[in-house]
Amino acid sequence: MAALIDLQSLWDVVLIVALVIAIAPWFGAYLGRVYLNRPVFGDAILAPLEQAAYRLIGTSPRRAMRPREYMFALLLVNGGVFLFLYVYFFFQAALPLDATHVPGMSWDLALQSAASFTTNTDFTHFVNESQISMGSEVLAWQLAMFLSAATGLSVAAAMIRGFVRKDGTVGNFYVDMVRSVTRILLPLSIVFALVLVLMGVPETFKNYVIAYPITGGTQTIYLGPVASFQSLSLLGTNGGGWYSANAASPLANPTAISNLFLVGVMMLIPFSTPFAFAQIIRRRAEAWPFVGTIVIIVAVALGLFIAYQAIANPALASVAGLGGSANGYPVGQETRFSLPEASLFQVISVYSNVGANNMAIGSISPIAQMVLLFGMFTQSTPGGAGTGFATLLLFAVLAIFIAGLMVGRTPEYLGKKIETSHVKWAALALLIHPAIVLIPFSVGVLWGDPGIVGASSTTVGASAHTFTAVLYELTSEASNNGSALVAGSFNDTTPFWNVTGAVVMLVGRFVPIWAMLQVGGLFAGQSEKPPGPGTLRTASTTFTIYLTMILVIISALLFLPVLALGPLAQVL
Amino acid sequence: MATGAQVSVRRVPRTSWRRVLADSFAMFDPRREVRNPMMFVVWVLFLYLVVLTLFPRAFPDLARFYSPSYYLGVTVILFLTLWFAHISEAIAEAQGRAQADTLREIRSGIRARQLLPDGTTRWVPADVLRIGDTVVIEAGEPVPIDGDIVQGAALIDESMMTGESAAVMRESGGDKTSVLGGARVVQGSIRMRVSAVRGESFLDRLIRLVEGQAREPTPNELALGVFLAALTIALFTVVVTFLYLANFTDIIAVDLATIVALFVCLMPTTIGALLPAIGISGINRVARSNVIAKSGKAVEAAGDLDTLILDKTGTITVGNRLAVQFVAAPDVAMDTVVEAAMLSSTLDDTPEGKSIVRLAARRATPIRRLEPGSFKVLPFTAERRMSGIALGDGTEFYKGSIQAIETYGAAVPGPLRASAADASRQGMTPLALSVGKRVVGLVFLKDVVKPGIRDRIRELRTMGIRTVMCTGDNRLTAAAIATESGVDDFIAEAKPETKLVVIEKEKAEGRLVAMTGDGTNDAPALARADVGLAMNNGTSAAKEAGNMVDLDNDPTKLIEVVSIGKQLLITRGALTTFSITNDVAKYFAIIPAIFVAAGAVALPGVAALNVLDLTNPQLAVLSTLLFNALIIPVLIPLALAGVPFRPRPAIDLLRRNLVYYGLGGLVSAFVGIKLLYLLLAYLSGLSWVQGLGIAVAHFLPLGGL
Repeated sequence: MAALIDLQSLWDVVLIVALVIAIAPWFGAYLGRVYLNRPVFGDAILAPLEQAAYRLIGTSPRRAMRPREYMFALLLVNGGVFLFLYVYFFFQAALPLDATHVPGMSWDLALQSAASFTTNTDFTHFVNESQISMGSEVLAWQLAMFLSAATGLSVAAAMIRGFVRKDGTVGNFYVDMVRSVTRILLPLSIVFALVLVLMGVPETFKNYVIAYPITGGTQTIYLGPVASFQSLSLLGTNGGGWYSANAASPLANPTAISNLFLVGVMMLIPFSTPFAFAQIIRRRAEAWPFVGTIVIIVAVALGLFIAYQAIANPALASVAGLGGSANGYPVGQETRFSLPEASLFQVISVYSNVGANNMAIGSISPIAQMVLLFGMFTQSTPGGAGTGFATLLLFAVLAIFIAGLMVGRTPEYLGKKIETSHVKWAALALLIHPAIVLIPFSVGVLWGDPGIVGASSTTVGASAHTFTAVLYELTSEASNNGSALVAGSFNDTTPFWNVTGAVVMLVGRFVPIWAMLQVGGLFAGQSEKPPGPGTLRTASTTFTIYLTMILVIISALLFLPVLALGPLAQVL
Repeated sequence: MATGAQVSVRRVPRTSWRRVLADSFAMFDPRREVRNPMMFVVWVLFLYLVVLTLFPRAFPDLARFYSPSYYLGVTVILFLTLWFAHISEAIAEAQGRAQADTLREIRSGIRARQLLPDGTTRWVPADVLRIGDTVVIEAGEPVPIDGDIVQGAALIDESMMTGESAAVMRESGGDKTSVLGGARVVQGSIRMRVSAVRGESFLDRLIRLVEGQAREPTPNELALGVFLAALTIALFTVVVTFLYLANFTDIIAVDLATIVALFVCLMPTTIGALLPAIGISGINRVARSNVIAKSGKAVEAAGDLDTLILDKTGTITVGNRLAVQFVAAPDVAMDTVVEAAMLSSTLDDTPEGKSIVRLAARRATPIRRLEPGSFKVLPFTAERRMSGIALGDGTEFYKGSIQAIETYGAAVPGPLRASAADASRQGMTPLALSVGKRVVGLVFLKDVVKPGIRDRIRELRTMGIRTVMCTGDNRLTAAAIATESGVDDFIAEAKPETKLVVIEKEKAEGRLVAMTGDGTNDAPALARADVGLAMNNGTSAAKEAGNMVDLDNDPTKLIEVVSIGKQLLITRGALTTFSITNDVAKYFAIIPAIFVAAGAVALPGVAALNVLDLTNPQLAVLSTLLFNALIIPVLIPLALAGVPFRPRPAIDLLRRNLVYYGLGGLVSAFVGIKLLYLLLAYLSGLSWVQGLGIAVAHFLPLGGL
């Protein structure tokens, strides 16, 4: 155990996390100003461009939308993206930038991929190197990466505005989208891409080079605009990789430094959003309960993950040929990185709903798999760009509702009352999550899809492993995470799992978004009540701990039975 | 009133246990059951299990681990769960009904003497009276229905409603005209205009409310219902899919009774079962404190209040002025002044007079002895507006307002006049004291703050409620009283319509406001306030406008109602938290049991969940389910009485209740389940229990082993 955890990498872990949390208040305040349409750095160049874009769309920042209209615009844009991706992938063989002559995708794979990229999931059912063309990646997939991240951020901004408005409007979707791209995603992804190039990540339109290794023969090394792809993918919590091996590939993530840098890129937006919230509602202290909750949960998760990857499994010590396994679970872990650093990347990636992998999750310890699953159950610690924080706000609405009852007052948050409708929408958004994991799973079982039926083997461990793989896949899709636990015994590329996955991702994305906008709209329609001494003070340690407990209990309560069937049953 | 016995709503009436028992079984009726959706789900599952227990062979895939005793056990405990839920509701209803019965007793068979247009009267049943009819009520007769006195004055005994034995004075004109149906005229004769029809009077409203007929779910209750329903649906999904998913893996196969047990245990049945009882008992508690709330919503709103507007006189101050200071005229000794005050008040029984005597007695002034028969009391009369005493030697001692004393013919010296004016400005009332026709000095009377009001106002502040005092006094007086009583704010020189202005202002700032009032000119403000507590001795207009009426005429009752409103919410919140943390422990009992039952004992990951070390899976499930059922009757007293509530800052309350009900729920479930498991394990080892089990299985046509 000691051999796997060295002090220096632990310091690296603490340092990078501390660094991002130190930047987060500042960057969050910037995000807040962006969504308040306040003057920010870069207005001189970008504001005229944005004005032009608004004129083109036919809207104006002064035109505020109610939730219904906002949702309509959101569905229009996202629907457009979805259709474009579907058509592009289906006909990619006939479209530009296809030097490797990749064939068009099948109807169901195109459906899965289009849904996956539109919903910020980026769960891929194809092999990047042979099933998607460079054109599809650069022109279609990257477009979705911008717009899906911008959609998430816009939804969060709209929901948060509810706390400071009284006229029932939540903002202008088109304006939010444009500013998300021009002020956040585009400039930062360019800067981060340049940093990655500096670290050795390829950035070229050349498709591949042929290498001649000393072992003889030839090796095709696939290339492309990897640095820009990678930086946007992680910044916007998309998580798709240029390579199938994602961030475990030395071309996408060459060094320990780049590994830590990418961790910072993934953390930036999700960890800053609570501060953007505080900026918009003009109450600095209100960011801390959320940051506190996120830090507590991520710290515990990371601790458990590292510990269970490091602890030797006594059951395996005696098995011949598994000598290495006696020293923790290094199977599947990229050996270029130390255990704490690799774990940090993996945990932050899943908890921030990025879903990029730098290890083979199918091979890690079952407890560590459970840790990752838990991050997808909460989807909000800190969760994906915008939607993660919006989910956390929904958890807070439910937590404050129960807490409000416990202190003997009609619950209110930031001066806005929490009423039946708020509870209804929050409960819908949070409780639909287990349903869209468990129901498709059961349907798959009853349907008898060959993807899993053939996989159910006769040994106990194998069936539990398959179970975990299916559970992991559906949870990842439902939470729009994209993290994949590739298990040899589960074939998720059958039409059944492609279609199911597409439906799960779309429902898991747009139903909660609709609920978030509704809750934002409800708050926006209420007049604000001045805080009094009888109001529950949310910016407090007690509330932070309480919110953490509610989050853990509600998330765990619904998933414990299936955890027992999968990862827990796998613990040997 | 036929019965002379004192009846009061305040008294807790005896609960009829036979009726409770009958009701608890009657509630198994599906039409009744469906009103509480969560219990309805349990009811459906109970029926399902009855079928399964009797015909296990029809469901071979589901009843995998069928044994008659296990299935019977689960069925019986499900029955108990429902039954306990019914009992809690039945007790709350019975308490309400008993109160209603007491009230009904009051008005049964009342007849009234109706005044006909030709001036004659005739006896009619009270039921036929319409609004606007006039009735004549003589001494000793009951008031048939709510109304306003249009002619005459009378002493009214309202003890049947209020429990207050002293009769109250009511007369035509002014603000004290209204009388409640059910009261009795003790002295005097009145003509009263009927202001409510039968079925619409306050008595009827109270009866309907405590009986639960008029009880509509309050907004918070609805929101909680939505949350619990959503949680139930999610858990249903989890459990039903678990059945298929478990059977997909080759690790375990799941038995249906176990799955049903798991679902019922995880459902928030505790709060679901007790929710109706909590609501009903909240209304009962309000009624018991002698307040008629027109809706449960008003009670809940009371818990949410931000601002209380309190009248100075009668609410914050006792309403009587008390002596605080003597002032001597320039050339008069203080002893003379004190003696004059003492003698003029010795036989004055008013609170003011007594307070003058008390103040004078504090000084060691020699007072002339009054021999019996040597003096004559000069009582207060409307013409003279002074009171005093005439001694045997003919000296008359008087005290009265400066104006009255001057009318009497005594001149008030300039310096005294100046200090009197000064005292008036400070909110005190100066009285002049005269010996013969010579004014010797003054005594100042002052409004005195009620004992205990300071503490109550502090409590309100702890609860986060701001108090605003309203008074017609000048700023200085108001400020003095405000400081003394500790109110947060005050409004001096208030006119009747000022309250309405204040309420509008507070509401515009998003606050919830309450006020008390009794006069007709209070009515608009009472109607506008979120909680308007009208005094029972006020006018009908005020009572109509308010959403609560206090039968005791005690404006500080508002504070009590606030506590009840808060308690109502806290009880719901606390039991919800308890229910949810209970679930955690139940998981740790049932999930390992499912694996053990399927023979998958060797899985160390799952075995680690079995922290309670429950080795017999069927007993583990039964003991968890039994705990889930038994916790309902255990918590019935808490649901009926409400969670103990003391004013504290919100964050303290949250912390305390989280520890008590959150942590308490977790620990009690772990301990309770383990103890029940040990008990069941012990019982199942006893031969007579086994014998009984075999006998039952034989007697009932249960499916084969």
